[in-house]
Amino acid sequence: MAVYKRTYKAYEGALTPGWSRFLILPRSAYGRLMQSKFLVIYLVACFFFPLGCAAFIYVSHNLSFLTAMNIPASQILKVNGAFFQFFCGFQGGMAVLLTAFVGPGLVAPDLANNALPLYFCRPFSRAEYVFGKMSLLLAMLSAITWVPGLLLFLIQSSLAGAAWARENSWIGSSILEGLLVWDVVLCLIALALSAWIKWRIAAGGAILALFFAGAGFGTAINAIVRTQYGALVDLRQVISIVFAQMFRDTSPPAVSAGDAWIVLAVTCLICLRLLSKRVKAFEVVK
Amino acid sequence: MTDDRVLFDNVSRFYGEVLGVNRVTLSIPPGITSLVGPNGSGKTTLMNLMAGLVRPTRGQIRVLGIAPDDPQRLCRTVGYSTQFDSFPRGLTGYQLVASFLRLFGFDQPKCHRLASAAIERLRMGDAAHRKVAAYSKGMRQRIKLAMAIAHEPRVLVLDEPLNGLDPLVRSETIALFRECAAAGRHVIVSSHVLHEVDQISDQVILLSNGYVVAEGQIQGVRGEIQEHPMQVLIRSSRPSLLASKMFEQDHVVEARLAEDGGAVLIKTRDADRFYRALNVLALDGIDIEGVMPADDNVNSVYEYLIGGGAGL
Amino acid sequence: MASQLFSQISAVMRLELRKSFFSRRGLWIYLLAFGPALLYLIHAIDVTRDHEHRQALLASHPVSSGALHLIRQGMPQKQVLDLLGEPYLKNEFLQNGRRRRGQDISIYHYTDGESDFTFFIVDGEVANVNEQDRCNVTKDSAIFATVFQFFYLRLAVFFGCVGIFTNLFRGEMLDKSLHFYLLAPMRREILLAGKYLAGLSAAVFIFTVGTALQIAALSWHFEPGQVAAYLHGTGWHDIAAYLGVTALACAGYGSIFLAAGLLFRNPILPATVVMLWESINIFLPAALKKISVIFYLQALCPVVAAPEADTPVLLKLLISSAEFPPAWLAITGLTAVMLVVLGVAAARARRLEINYGTE
Repeated sequence: MAVYKRTYKAYEGALTPGWSRFLILPRSAYGRLMQSKFLVIYLVACFFFPLGCAAFIYVSHNLSFLTAMNIPASQILKVNGAFFQFFCGFQGGMAVLLTAFVGPGLVAPDLANNALPLYFCRPFSRAEYVFGKMSLLLAMLSAITWVPGLLLFLIQSSLAGAAWARENSWIGSSILEGLLVWDVVLCLIALALSAWIKWRIAAGGAILALFFAGAGFGTAINAIVRTQYGALVDLRQVISIVFAQMFRDTSPPAVSAGDAWIVLAVTCLICLRLLSKRVKAFEVVK
Repeated sequence: MTDDRVLFDNVSRFYGEVLGVNRVTLSIPPGITSLVGPNGSGKTTLMNLMAGLVRPTRGQIRVLGIAPDDPQRLCRTVGYSTQFDSFPRGLTGYQLVASFLRLFGFDQPKCHRLASAAIERLRMGDAAHRKVAAYSKGMRQRIKLAMAIAHEPRVLVLDEPLNGLDPLVRSETIALFRECAAAGRHVIVSSHVLHEVDQISDQVILLSNGYVVAEGQIQGVRGEIQEHPMQVLIRSSRPSLLASKMFEQDHVVEARLAEDGGAVLIKTRDADRFYRALNVLALDGIDIEGVMPADDNVNSVYEYLIGGGAGL
Repeated sequence: MASQLFSQISAVMRLELRKSFFSRRGLWIYLLAFGPALLYLIHAIDVTRDHEHRQALLASHPVSSGALHLIRQGMPQKQVLDLLGEPYLKNEFLQNGRRRRGQDISIYHYTDGESDFTFFIVDGEVANVNEQDRCNVTKDSAIFATVFQFFYLRLAVFFGCVGIFTNLFRGEMLDKSLHFYLLAPMRREILLAGKYLAGLSAAVFIFTVGTALQIAALSWHFEPGQVAAYLHGTGWHDIAAYLGVTALACAGYGSIFLAAGLLFRNPILPATVVMLWESINIFLPAALKKISVIFYLQALCPVVAAPEADTPVLLKLLISSAEFPPAWLAITGLTAVMLVVLGVAAARARRLEINYGTE
């Protein structure tokens, strides 16, 4: 019969390492994403602020430039923890919008087009699927958050000297930890909403609603119930409190940093639970 | 006259730079017409154009005299079972058929009557009150067919309607098509199952790469393919003699004896002269037990015009 | 003819409502709509329990409201104790505790059963008097107005309409089920009207019920007499105005997002632009303010909302004021915007084609 005539044989060559198979997912997705002109323009725009910060750091160490511009050195803002805290807050906000644009397309199309059985009927686990999808967004978010943040820190360290770098090494670790935590939270939220809502567009709306309406809801809680704990519903304010703790900001926060960390942890757990319920090879219809 | 035909007049449809169909001119009479072609040949595009789901980039379409940009009249005339295997959420099979009949402006009792009749016709009565999302592939196909026939249209456009159906339901569905065709309706079907196309079609339209390659009754189409001589299998007690006599005819290009020694396969460029010659030989006393055209079917026409496995 | 149009529109509406109402996918819209009402209810329960607690404190530490209102800044601590007696709660900061420039600080808490009075006494003299009246119709109306205009309209109704209206066409495209509608013998404008009305019915129902529940929850902890007095005053007018504004907001935003779903492959992009435009509306010059839905909606609200108390001073300076148009002009303007947007959407719907492969 036809099978043996075609000398069919099982593959006997080398296999790719198991740990790297989740990278199959982002590999094809990047090309598709970069076809969106809007996304490319937005990604470029996300680098304007870091570039401006880099220019500012350079200018603040360039005495001849300051003298030429008649600007006393004491009037220039210091490049310190507060500077990097502001950077993290700003780029963290840009990351939210990037998540709203990219996130919905991660899981929702696979669910809508019944693609999950195609993944899971192969030696590919749910965790690998989630990691693969997450790595796509995490890489993009990292490129606009802690990567330029650390570069700015390195520029500042090289211009300010080794002593400054030794004294302020905590800033570098704060940039990395703070923004990495925020990126992971954003990824999990995007994946969970994309999986739960299934419609790509509604998922995008829900991501925006979570942050913007969440902020308004938090303010409404504070106004109605006469409390400050509404800040815990506003994820942007929660991460600001975490950044304030990491960058040793002494101004009193609305709620304690411990509560803020708990909110982030609970958010991640809820997202993982939603993903666990929705990312399956089958769907039960009652 | 044109009011009983589906007309395409130099119709082209492009999706950006991708060709859907190009310069298609067709006149489809009542009866069962099959659209045959490999994947991406333009069958679904042609059907979507007929049903008004897409507009032609160029050219004109008339379905029984109605333009596709007049959905109020067109959609009462046309019933379309698409290739899409997705449905509005949360509805049962009965709700799906009946609710969309309400869009026709029918009152509730009429919708119920038509929906029930269509569902029973496709033998979906038992499953009609279950959610469509829980249906098997074959059941989803049947409910699509039920939606297409429920409003008793004059033109049925069916994209791969037998997909996923079990043999019993297949034959019942084919009987339904024949019934509709016998009633003077247009039944336009696309299929990859060529022996079924052979079985049921009154005429075929062959498409390849967006062009109409051939159109008409299958025997007529076959007769026009001059570059591929017709093959006829003749059973005889004296096949060698038959073969030698046939070779004397200039229109015969090949004669091959069958392995069992009881038949000969003749290839001829002229079917009419061949059959006249065969009659003469029969009258001369050569014993002829059977005459079967070997490539007078859709499968062979498909192979000759579109190519073996092209695009499949 | 008219009856057929009506029956087609109602058939589309019935289909849409059957598919979308109470679906789990829309749960977040219900949270947005009813979340504030839940907050008001929590506050009402808290105030009621607080009131009962204050009544109990008054019984154990009786003091008259008149006496409490006599306390002024600079009054000696001894005079306060003579007038009011011992407080039900006092905090005194010892030398090793939180000292401010070597001062002795005492905080005295009193209640007259309705309000809480807190007196800050520094070095034996009253430095600050704080009265907290948790049952104040005027204050609560102002808070409701602020929450309604700065959160409920701009965010809850906005995002709810994004979720409901963008999915009417764009969601069907993504679900690959829009062709069922296009194969029905009806004009595309009728289909658009049916879907819009279905979305509008759902949105108006959900959000006006949300508004009504908020008002009900807000007034729950007031005395019946206070509620009756409010209703006999401007109460019914205010309630009708808030419900009407909610419905108009659903209609206005709904038309914009229905059109966005037809015109754009990713309607979240124009939704983001509209959201950012509306959020900076208070900072825009008067002429530009008028190019927004929220400006007209705020004009129709019975109580003008002030920016939040903790808004930074710099931002407060940037907030510009523009004279609100009269109600009839606001309603006409909004309706005109809606009709224009729906007209554009109808023109687009007429040319609608099925091309699921590009989604």
